[in-house]
Amino acid sequence: MTRTTSRGQSLVEVGDLSVAYHHHDGWLRVVEDVGFTIAKGEAFGLVGESGCGKSTIAYHLLGYRRPGSRVESGRILFQGVDLLRLDRPALDTLRGNRISLVPQNPTTALSPGMRVGEQIAEVLRWHGRERDGGPERRIIELLGLVGLPEPERIGRRYPHQLSGGQQQRVTIAMALACAPDLLVLDEPTTGLDVTTQEQIIELLADLRARLGMSMLYVTHDLGVLAEIADRVGVMYAGHLVEIAPTDVLFSQPRHPYTRGLSASIPRLDAARRPVGKPLRGMLRRDEIPPGCAFYPRCDLARPSCASNAQRPETVGPGHAVACERWREIGPPDLAGGPAAPARPRAMAPPPLLALEDLSLSYGGRTSWRRLLGQESPLVVRDVSFSLERGETFALVGESGSGKSTIARAISGVIAPMRGQIRFAGESLPGSVQARSDTVRRKIQYIFQNPDASLNPRRTVGDTIGRPLQVFLQLRRSKNRERVAALLEDVRLDASYAERYPDQLSGGERQRVAIARALACEPTLLLCDEILSALDVSVQANILELLQRLRAEHDVAMLFIAHDLAVVRALAHRVGVLFGGQLFEIGTARAVFELPFHPYTHELLMATPGPKPAHAPPGVRQAPRPRSSRGCAYEHRCPWKLGPICEQEAPPWRKAAPDLEIRCHREIEDLRDRAIWRPFAARTSQTEVANASVTHRPA
Amino acid sequence: MPAAVAPSITAPPGIWRRAARRWRRAPTSFRVGAAILLIHAIVAITGPWWAPYGLSQMGTGIPLSGMSWDHPFGVDQLGRDIFSRVVHGARIVILLSLSGTLLGLVVGAVIGLLSGYVGGWIDDVVQRLIEALISIPFLVLALIAIAAAGPELAGNALLVILVVALVYAPRIARMARAAALDIVTRDYVTAARLRGERAWAVVRREVLPNASGVLLVEFALRAGYAPVLIGSLGFLGFGMRPPTPEWGLMISENRALIIVSPITVIGPGLMLASLVVGLNLFTDGLARMLGRTVKLVEK
Repeated sequence: MTRTTSRGQSLVEVGDLSVAYHHHDGWLRVVEDVGFTIAKGEAFGLVGESGCGKSTIAYHLLGYRRPGSRVESGRILFQGVDLLRLDRPALDTLRGNRISLVPQNPTTALSPGMRVGEQIAEVLRWHGRERDGGPERRIIELLGLVGLPEPERIGRRYPHQLSGGQQQRVTIAMALACAPDLLVLDEPTTGLDVTTQEQIIELLADLRARLGMSMLYVTHDLGVLAEIADRVGVMYAGHLVEIAPTDVLFSQPRHPYTRGLSASIPRLDAARRPVGKPLRGMLRRDEIPPGCAFYPRCDLARPSCASNAQRPETVGPGHAVACERWREIGPPDLAGGPAAPARPRAMAPPPLLALEDLSLSYGGRTSWRRLLGQESPLVVRDVSFSLERGETFALVGESGSGKSTIARAISGVIAPMRGQIRFAGESLPGSVQARSDTVRRKIQYIFQNPDASLNPRRTVGDTIGRPLQVFLQLRRSKNRERVAALLEDVRLDASYAERYPDQLSGGERQRVAIARALACEPTLLLCDEILSALDVSVQANILELLQRLRAEHDVAMLFIAHDLAVVRALAHRVGVLFGGQLFEIGTARAVFELPFHPYTHELLMATPGPKPAHAPPGVRQAPRPRSSRGCAYEHRCPWKLGPICEQEAPPWRKAAPDLEIRCHREIEDLRDRAIWRPFAARTSQTEVANASVTHRPA
Repeated sequence: MPAAVAPSITAPPGIWRRAARRWRRAPTSFRVGAAILLIHAIVAITGPWWAPYGLSQMGTGIPLSGMSWDHPFGVDQLGRDIFSRVVHGARIVILLSLSGTLLGLVVGAVIGLLSGYVGGWIDDVVQRLIEALISIPFLVLALIAIAAAGPELAGNALLVILVVALVYAPRIARMARAAALDIVTRDYVTAARLRGERAWAVVRREVLPNASGVLLVEFALRAGYAPVLIGSLGFLGFGMRPPTPEWGLMISENRALIIVSPITVIGPGLMLASLVVGLNLFTDGLARMLGRTVKLVEK
């Protein structure tokens, strides 16, 4: 990554920009007096929670104004020309040509009925960039540039024939078609899983180094910016509250909001930190005071903050902050905390939940298929683990590894192919209808996306009260009392019972879903990626809530996630899943320390955020259809031993008293190969930050 | 922690102001349709009080005398005033159309939603039956049903309602099933299933409220065509019996006079046409408005 600290000529200069949206009966300012510059070849990151105005700025850089919005003041100079004063034809020659966009969601950005090569050709044709003999050569060149294998064939595919990561590569190729000076990226990796996200970020960093274009990278995820941005601007409620070089922002965040944001990122190297200072809930626009917009949520505010408008003040080279108290607040304390301690396992009676050689497949075991002798491919193969009362077990792995499928089998949505599930010692029937009411009450499922798990036509009170009706026959006033108590449990006001889901924010909806799951005092919660649909600051709040509720209700959790940092903060034990098989299992502390299974190592290296060291990116492929022999990870394994990996299933090895790894390599061998440094080996956060800077090629 | 900033709560606008705002934002087709329907409703409700003559009062004027101020739609063979008969008939036509469609909606929605939720072989069987019923042209299906009911029920208003319901129920059931198929994949349905709730409880509490938009549009759409169906039955002599002032029946009765006094056929025809056009404009607008709100909810 190149680090351009020199103040060269600026390519983009945004000055005093204010934008308002038409709203009910008036104009609502969503961007207020925002100013920043982007130098030639620089990557500038804009970060903030949803609704802070960052995307509005990104779209204005393309000269695009949403219908019903107006620019109240300011200018956006691109190579000295004010984009806000250009007419439509002039903008058309710039857009996609000198300035281009990589959209958030490639699935909706690509036309489903057109081959992707043709869609790129359209851009070239529109800007008159066709070479002699048609655009084919350029298209193949572009698709190769973004790291797609066999560019000739990919170009002839339709979008639905590509994976999400490949689609995003195509939109990047499209944005690069005319070799633009500025690339605007609007949350380009938000919809992707962590390994794909890492690949896209690597690609973007590599492209920037090779092509030398500038970037505006808009995201809600501060961790991602650590990987790609030279400088970062932090936005809050339409204001730019802090702007600083990336490493300075991470080591010395000045604004209370930036501190909250950076504390909200669950870090692998500081397991308990997210719980320390999560940001308090979000506010509606009409609750924001005239002075500092962050005042109502700020722990360090004093009364004058509410009335004084905060102007950016320079606090260091290239570092400005809009907070009148920055001098008094002092530098933040960044010491990391200990990892989640392992829970003592004293209880001898049967574990709460035990999976015994569980194999699962979709398509099920219908008599029709059996008759034809067909067997659908296994999604999960021979998985065994157990869970004690009150314990949290995390399953991690990339999308498609079978994590959610296991949770669905435990809940009774799909029946096991082979093996069995025991709950408190009893074997569970495969389908939920065949289970007893008690079992259904004791096992509760929390879904990934709270938008889809709450009935939009039912009030919150109705939704939470329903299980009380079904399982406990609580009605009317008793039901209402219990609902109010549950709402209080998840830190929502009792008045929320009357609201509908579309009147709540994403985090509030997930709280309601949690309250519903807790309503009838379950002993096991199945949490299926329950944080991944939420903003980072909201995630930290929900995480804190889960930790508290887990203690209060003594409930066990099966926690499914692809975010290792969250897992480390929450789980007592961890299982690493790849291609439907477990490869490493142990206490959270042991799993995140040496030695690692090669796949665990890959996952750790892929986690965004300040890295201890940079490793050469390996070529990653999705799991292949599994053959019954050999190791499922063999075709992707960077530490492959030899033909034995393809021919024999790897053995389980005891790596430590509380850690087992399944690999052909010896434990000592695995220990020597790991580049990722475990947390115990590091002394302090600041050293790590410095180390990460020096490791970057200048 | 700083003192919380008092949120500025604006009082919700009154129900009339909200209704007025919605009316202003509604599509034109909705407003025109609603106006036409309002006129029909007023005629249907208040008609009998101000209709110039009784519904089968004879000798009101010279038979077949054509249009005049006294008899805007003319006079039939028996000397009955067509205008009065049309006014009296409005409530019958509207009542039969709405109740027939409503019955079809209830039956169709229950079958369609349950079939979509339960799935599997039950769904397959139900769908094949429904396809079989839909494949019969609706007028033929209606005539078969009337023939099967036997002569003693012929001309009975209840039979007409049942026939309309029979024709519509399978078509509505298909729409309801399609809507249900989309809804049953949502996590809140899975959540209800995991609580071990019975199929009917899940359909009623989780699926139906979310299919209500589709069903409402479907109801309005079908209701718009019901007067034509009832009119066709009347015209063929299988619907209401004379002297009921059902518009289709009146067109049939007077069709022999179309050369001598065309207005006697055109009058009821105009009323029928305006009701159908009004209903269709209304539902078209309604569908667009509901489509908008549904999108807002799903985002």
